Amino acid sequence: MANTPEELKYTKEHEWIKVDGDIATVGITDFAQESLGDIVFVELPEIDTDLDKESPFGVVESIKSVSDLYTPLSGTIVEANQELVDQPELCNQAPYDSWMIKIKIKNTDELSELLDAPAYLEVCANQE
Amino acid sequence: MSNLTTSLHAKHLELKAKMAPFAGFEMPIQYTSVKEEVIAVRENVGVFDVSHMGEFFVEGPDAHKFVDHIMTNDFSGAGALKAVYSPLCRDNGTVIDDLIAYKLGDERVLICVNAANIEKDWNWISSKTEGFNVSLKNDSDNWSLLAVQGPKTEEVLRSLELLDSDEFPYYSIKETNLNSEHIILARTGYTGEDGFEIFCNHEFVEQLWDRLLEKNVTPCGLAARDVLRLEVCYPLYGHEIHDEVTPLDSALKWTVKMSKQNFIGKAALENYSPKFKLAKIILDKGIPREGYVVENEAGEAIGHVTSGTMSVVLGKGIALAHINHAIDLKQTKLFVNIRNRKYEAERTTKAFVSGGHK
Repeated sequence: MANTPEELKYTKEHEWIKVDGDIATVGITDFAQESLGDIVFVELPEIDTDLDKESPFGVVESIKSVSDLYTPLSGTIVEANQELVDQPELCNQAPYDSWMIKIKIKNTDELSELLDAPAYLEVCANQE
Repeated sequence: MSNLTTSLHAKHLELKAKMAPFAGFEMPIQYTSVKEEVIAVRENVGVFDVSHMGEFFVEGPDAHKFVDHIMTNDFSGAGALKAVYSPLCRDNGTVIDDLIAYKLGDERVLICVNAANIEKDWNWISSKTEGFNVSLKNDSDNWSLLAVQGPKTEEVLRSLELLDSDEFPYYSIKETNLNSEHIILARTGYTGEDGFEIFCNHEFVEQLWDRLLEKNVTPCGLAARDVLRLEVCYPLYGHEIHDEVTPLDSALKWTVKMSKQNFIGKAALENYSPKFKLAKIILDKGIPREGYVVENEAGEAIGHVTSGTMSVVLGKGIALAHINHAIDLKQTKLFVNIRNRKYEAERTTKAFVSGGHK
């Protein structure tokens, strides 16, 4: 069973979100890294990029696959984790420490659309 | 239509392999990690269930002559108990499939073909027998096939008494009995490493698989197999070779033996002007994938990636690419367009990884 911390929010695209004031920190879940296998490449957006909810913000590649990453909330990219660009394997080793981007949230109404841990686990169960 | 399964299906599920449809079969893609499986084969020994592949038998006084006629490579000239790799071409030179033919006896040949092409190959080959005293059998349903690959293969197979101390050269074959089970052993493979392919029946393959795993042979999936073959630049049907190109478009001139008196496709290939050159490219950053466009410095499209992956051995993106034949590769800097960004590619003339096969 994939590790799914209670205190985080999730999307059905297998991203986790930690909200702190008006900043959302985003990464991919344990379930996601486990299904992808060895992650070998991460591409992240430039800082100050404005993105709408559900638009692609980056790419994560395993040896055999390419997956788009979608922003769970509308806002402006304020930080991107360059450490993952140099060491993509961190996404496998510690998915919840390996944040990818920090977004300055534009519309707090969108927060209510994120999944809590039990709801996300149900999404995973249906994909196993 | 549901997918077919191999005799080892339950064992793959027990090992929690990721399964996916491939050529009409549900096949193991990876067991633990593609990286670990590739390294196991490069440094130690791994086993692949490749029972989905097809087995045809050609028998009769003209068996050698017939197989030589349908393939572009030289089969007649190969010694007894040898294996020969070859494209199978149409009269116009385009590729139907690639295969390995095994000279089992004076009047007996085994042809091993890609799973996705079994029906296409069978229809083609069985329609070409006129004038040859041969009988053909598509025996694909009755054979399982394991590929045991890696530098420690010989040691493991000896410990299982599958091999004795007799010499067994690369690309040769032997029919043998192990505990009264009929098996065909071939020193062939698709990884660039030393290794054997073992053809046997569906009951025996389960025992064999268990015995190999007891010897700590690593089960490996099709994902690792694809990385391994690409690292040593072996072509794959559907990628470097397919219905629209000839062997001369994909660096397979060495398999087209114009000195043979006649073979299917000879006339067309003699006069053929290749559309493509096959380039081997390495990226410092970024991973080239099938279909990505290859550009020159001016940003003009000059080709496309036919297979690409992250090389486990090099830790870099590698690819084979079809480049328009008119391009002078020595004078042209190559770039791969990845999501509208240009990544400079280094071209190499040797394989990305030199496998250790004998």
